[in-house]
Amino acid sequence: MTIAVVTDSTSDLPPEIAKQHGIEVIPLNVHIGDDTFLDGQTITSDQMYRILPESKEIPTTSAPPVGKFVDVFTRLSKDHDAIISIHISSKLSLTYISAVNAVSEMVDTGVDIRVVDTEQASMALGWTAVHVAEKIAAGASIDDAVEIAQKAATRASFVGMVDTLDYLVRGGRIGKARGFVGSLLRIKPILTLEEGEAHPVGRARNRKKGVAMLEQMVADASPLDKLSILYTTEPEAAQAIADEVANYAPDNKPVVAQLGPVVGNYLGPGVLGLGLLRAE
Amino acid sequence: MAGVSEYQRANFARFSRIKGMIAKPSTTALIDAALLLRLVQAASDALFANRPTINALNVFPVPDGDTGTNMSLTLRSIVESEDVNASTQSASELASKMARASLLGARGNSGLLLAQLFKGIAQVADGNDSIAPSALGVALGRAYEFSQQSVPNPVEGTMITIYRECSEKASEREESSAFEVLEALRDDALDAVRRTPEMLDVLAEAEVVDSGGFGLAVMFDGMVRAITNTEPVAREIEVPMPSGRKFSGTVKSDFVAEAEEVDWGYCTVFAIEAENLDLDRIRDHMDRIGRSPIVDGAPGLAKVHVHMEDPGEALSAGIKYGSLSNIEISNMDTQAADWASDRREDIEHATTEKLDSPSIAVVAVAAGQGMADLIENTGLGATYVIEGGDSMNPSVAELLEAVEKTPSDQVILLPNNKNIIAAAEQVDELTDKTVRVVPTRSVQTGVAALLAFNLNESLDENVEEMIDIAGEVGEGRVCKASRDVSIGGHEIKAGMTFATFDDEIIAVGRDTEFVLGKLITAKSIDAEIITVYTGNGSKAESIQRLSEELTEKFSDLEIEVVWGGQPHYDYLVAVE
Repeated sequence: MTIAVVTDSTSDLPPEIAKQHGIEVIPLNVHIGDDTFLDGQTITSDQMYRILPESKEIPTTSAPPVGKFVDVFTRLSKDHDAIISIHISSKLSLTYISAVNAVSEMVDTGVDIRVVDTEQASMALGWTAVHVAEKIAAGASIDDAVEIAQKAATRASFVGMVDTLDYLVRGGRIGKARGFVGSLLRIKPILTLEEGEAHPVGRARNRKKGVAMLEQMVADASPLDKLSILYTTEPEAAQAIADEVANYAPDNKPVVAQLGPVVGNYLGPGVLGLGLLRAE
Repeated sequence: MAGVSEYQRANFARFSRIKGMIAKPSTTALIDAALLLRLVQAASDALFANRPTINALNVFPVPDGDTGTNMSLTLRSIVESEDVNASTQSASELASKMARASLLGARGNSGLLLAQLFKGIAQVADGNDSIAPSALGVALGRAYEFSQQSVPNPVEGTMITIYRECSEKASEREESSAFEVLEALRDDALDAVRRTPEMLDVLAEAEVVDSGGFGLAVMFDGMVRAITNTEPVAREIEVPMPSGRKFSGTVKSDFVAEAEEVDWGYCTVFAIEAENLDLDRIRDHMDRIGRSPIVDGAPGLAKVHVHMEDPGEALSAGIKYGSLSNIEISNMDTQAADWASDRREDIEHATTEKLDSPSIAVVAVAAGQGMADLIENTGLGATYVIEGGDSMNPSVAELLEAVEKTPSDQVILLPNNKNIIAAAEQVDELTDKTVRVVPTRSVQTGVAALLAFNLNESLDENVEEMIDIAGEVGEGRVCKASRDVSIGGHEIKAGMTFATFDDEIIAVGRDTEFVLGKLITAKSIDAEIITVYTGNGSKAESIQRLSEELTEKFSDLEIEVVWGGQPHYDYLVAVE
């Protein structure tokens, strides 16, 4: 049984990893002023983060339209028996709904398509998709794949240390992290995503301590199936963390990945974080 | 300028300004049409200038944040009305035109209540060419009565209170000039507004005063300045808050969250025109199908304002009574959500709000307003400060009282001084609450420990982490010797500055910043971050400068300079 794995660009999967596992990544739309771009295709994250501090309003994103899902599902159905489409939390984006609508459009075609809402974002979503792809390559059925995806999503986690809470406040996503706002001291908040909104994890006195906290979190979460270090604008800082925690990653090779606009726009430049999948 | 002294010539500009500011009470005994128009224009301008503040105060009956805008636009529609601006009319004719224009242009609850004021003025004008200033107080009394009839449940603590109180106080007075009357009205209005939270719970909960009432005070203020030719006529005035507090510029954050949850529906406003309208019947009808109805009228005209789930229902009902015009429908859910999101932004800039029932609370001892603010601000909304420090140690009883007052059963105590630790450790036995002490020996260590405070973790986990951090902070203090003193082999003369680190003298000198620099140099070898808290003798500008200088001098270190406002010590330093 050949099963295709589909996800969306909010997974922040580095293109070579997506390709390696044969994962189809559907781009979201990024809106800047009156212009619309395709996330990761007609606009890069670097370009986004350059614009971000100067924009009056946070550039928004929107889900791929139903038609786009229908096109992709139709194309994939030609040489696959089934499709599993794994997506970002429906509380953060309508992508999941769009995919579900596409499935109902295609109900008469007889193609077996399953859609999973991981309630995650960024590489927590990305690793879930990769894990499912690996299990499928090892012989999992479509029913297995759905269960694997749902379980993996609960073992995945996304954590970020932000430089400032301004972007979260501006974008109205400050959520439960409200207590951290307006600090008189230059501290670095560390947040995670829970149920589609920001949740406080802790505060670091400065960036250096924050990095130490992130590194400690990697140790505390291990053993790990997957590990990536995330950044919005500073790849070298992310690489330094990756080097430090390399031994917690499978093959001692943590993946360094850039946070895309869907999450990144609300966190801002200067973010360092983790996207990981705990072992079963 | 002949006859003008050197001094006066040199200060001519200043004197002109001062002269302009001296109130020249109007000698006009009566208010004619021209003056009435000028006064209303001034009121309109004043409302416009204070619009944002009035909007920010708006919580009752719906937190839609537009009382200021509504009042401003209502007056604007009077001032811009063609009828109103037609020439040669008596004050009475003008007042009637204003009343009609205000009714047609009335926006929101507050706009309709304003319309009652103009109705009152029109009534006391009574066909005359001019209005006696003392009649304004009577007009306000009439406005109060009309408001009672327009709203089924008139509520004290809103604009109608201001109408009533100003009118009552005016009737006890003898002013005759327009200036005296208007000035008294303004002052009485401000006083009444200050007391509105006592009359209306929702105002006290949201920690604001009545927005519409404040709008009235603003209007009177504009009128006073118009009468005295004071520039600018429209100015921002301070919100009169109870017990000397200051309006934070926004509403309490719990209120913001609650406002978002309630389903507000649509604010539906329209005018009905027909002969022989029965306002009571219309009002009862609206009361049956909607909420908070206000129905008011002039001959041949009724203005309806009601909150509906289905606005169409109100319009269909209204059309049974006559022809409809001036229809406005706004979605209060969207307004409330927009309002809530604007207020969230404001809250970011205001001081930290307290949590209602945190799982753990922290009580910290501190001296100095800056330190207290810093501690509360860092304390996740669950931290309470007791005044105290080196020279003023709180008693066990005072620590116990503070612990009992917190809204949690689990409390962490930060004594922030070695002489308070022992007292702090007595508290746990004296209360049913669980109290743990993190034995901090300085307030700067207390702040550092507070950063580890995490409401997602248990009491034990918190205490363990906070003790760990407290143990790693090096404590520096810089202060002046008040008398000659000999410590640890150092002879220090009165007036000289000395620095200690973990209670050992590290540096002595004449200049406080120099001594601070020596302290940092001596102790920065293994340090990552140094936080300097400046005392209550330092000025805000010096903090910026000091920060820049220190950052440049110690470029390998991260240095943060913050205002602590502590007494006694020029600088408190935390070395981590």
